[in-house]
Amino acid sequence: MKLLTKTSRTYFLVSLVVYLAASFVFYVIIRNVIYREIEDRLLLEKYDFVLFVQKWKHWSDENFFVENKIQVVPLKGGEISQQMVFKDTLMYESFEGEAMPFRQLTFQTFIDGKPHMVSIRKSMLEQITLIEVVTGTMMSFLGILLVCTFFIHRRLSKTIWLPFYDSLARIKSFDWTRQAGKGEEVTFPAGEIQEFNELNLALTRMTTQICHDYRSLREFTENASHEIQTPLALITARIEQMIQSENLSGEQLHWIQEIYHSSRRISRLLESLLLLSRIENKQFTDVAEGDLAASAEQKLGDFSDILKHKRIRVEKSLDQPFRLRISHALQDILLSNLLKNAIRHNHPDGVISLSSRNGVLEIRNTGPDLAVPAEVLFERFRKESGDKESLGLGLSIVRQICDCYDLRVSYLYEKPFHRVIIMPATRTPAAPEEHTPTPGTVNS
Amino acid sequence: MKILIVEDEEALSESMVQYLSREGFVCETAYSLDQAAEKIELYLYDAAIIDLTLPDGDGLSVIQKLKRITATTGIIIVSARKALEDKIRGLEIGSDDYLTKPFSLPELNARLKSLIRRRHFGGNNEIVFREIRVNPYSRQVFVSNRETHLSRKEYDLLLYFLSNIDAVLTKESIAEHLWGDYVDSADSLDMVYSHIKNLRKKLAGPSEAGYIQSVYGIGYKFRSL
Repeated sequence: MKLLTKTSRTYFLVSLVVYLAASFVFYVIIRNVIYREIEDRLLLEKYDFVLFVQKWKHWSDENFFVENKIQVVPLKGGEISQQMVFKDTLMYESFEGEAMPFRQLTFQTFIDGKPHMVSIRKSMLEQITLIEVVTGTMMSFLGILLVCTFFIHRRLSKTIWLPFYDSLARIKSFDWTRQAGKGEEVTFPAGEIQEFNELNLALTRMTTQICHDYRSLREFTENASHEIQTPLALITARIEQMIQSENLSGEQLHWIQEIYHSSRRISRLLESLLLLSRIENKQFTDVAEGDLAASAEQKLGDFSDILKHKRIRVEKSLDQPFRLRISHALQDILLSNLLKNAIRHNHPDGVISLSSRNGVLEIRNTGPDLAVPAEVLFERFRKESGDKESLGLGLSIVRQICDCYDLRVSYLYEKPFHRVIIMPATRTPAAPEEHTPTPGTVNS
Repeated sequence: MKILIVEDEEALSESMVQYLSREGFVCETAYSLDQAAEKIELYLYDAAIIDLTLPDGDGLSVIQKLKRITATTGIIIVSARKALEDKIRGLEIGSDDYLTKPFSLPELNARLKSLIRRRHFGGNNEIVFREIRVNPYSRQVFVSNRETHLSRKEYDLLLYFLSNIDAVLTKESIAEHLWGDYVDSADSLDMVYSHIKNLRKKLAGPSEAGYIQSVYGIGYKFRSL
């Protein structure tokens, strides 16, 4: 629920309750005042009546011309009660031709020594109209007041919260990967409300810190790996000079070969780790729409030499494109890692099949049995035990890239096929073919 | 051919000088931006090898200056940065080639020679080694004046050897030269072997073994003898 909706709703409900309660209380008070007034007058008339019958010892309706005004009923027996009763009643009035509200005072008294029950009445018509008019007017004014304050409150809230919404929008659009790269900082304009200014100050401090941390992290990983590449370059260069020498023994050559190999390996490891951290830091922002399936097919062409060399047969069934917005560089890395794997872990005269349909891209290759559970292969430095050359980072990079673009990548092994399946993460993980083995299991 | 090497790591710079001098290049070195700026004001170079990260600044400024003074100087960037955008930036600013560290010296040498061929001879001068004649422009190879058909990779391999005659080339550096980053496994070394076998067949040599000699465990050498 939005802030304004929430406050408006609460305000409205509370106002309504207050309004209804106030109206009710007001009505009760007015009514009581008017009743008290009528009852006082009835008591006065009772006093006059009693005086009259004491003096004249009798009562006759002719004494009084007002219709229904006083009613005297003789009582049986000799006792009277001193009780007086007020009550509302309706009496027929010939002038209006209908029943009218009256307030009635009933008491018992002796007239000429005989007990009588006397009811004195006063018409309430004017008073009720008065109550109605006063209460109605009052309620209307109160209502108008409430509606006005409600809208004023809404307007006011909107303007008061404006800086808040502004800050919110700024912080929502804050993208540290972009902003830290450009050295921009998020600014929040100062307003007149202290709390918002404090909030903005805190936000500015936080975003600046985030940008700063991000920048230094990025620079550190990049600088560190570049600093290491230079000594590695020296090692490689010196080895290349050393092997030009004619008088090296076979054993020495072997050691040199090992040093050379290891230094190249370190260099490749560094490169892969740097790449992983660059992907994690979201440093690839040059996204463009492309068809992953077509790119995979094209990429496979780059490997034609080795495919020919290993006599690997390529099957393609690219029925539908696999549309994706992705950084070109990352797409290249993703596909080349997957295809390299499919070739490297293949045997001569093997098969690689590339298929794309219903938004699922699959790269399937023949290869030796998996020695470890398939899902484990995505972990860093996890690799097939038999492969010395592999760094164990290829599939981690693939997963990292897929995570960046909301893709789900899974590795299945059904003898003799290794299958890597890529699909949007929003899809349910059903394999595109009729038999659907559970991901991460090894059938052997 | 006069070369300027701008590299702050002195040992690496020395290593490049030693290797390239053997190939007949006259090398001068600069270890900082200042030194490089001074040298390009004073002398004329056929090519320059420039490291981008120098202690006193970015090597890109040297490239801009070089381009202003002598447009004919070929430039090879040597950088630890491998990202595509760095390469594109380097090429945009006027460099002719981009090598990432760690690089192989024979590779640097081969690229330097190819760059000089393109710059100074329009790529039209032939490379002649005894009875082998290569026309880099038409990518034709003649052995004893008879055209020999080589596959694309065999041609690249031959040119790499001809650029580094009498130097031991590691299997890895050959694989990288032929396939770049695409292949980095045992498979690629296998392929190097089979390409070399084919190339040996197509180039008859002076002795039974031919020009290409295996160096135990390490790689191959194209012998001039």
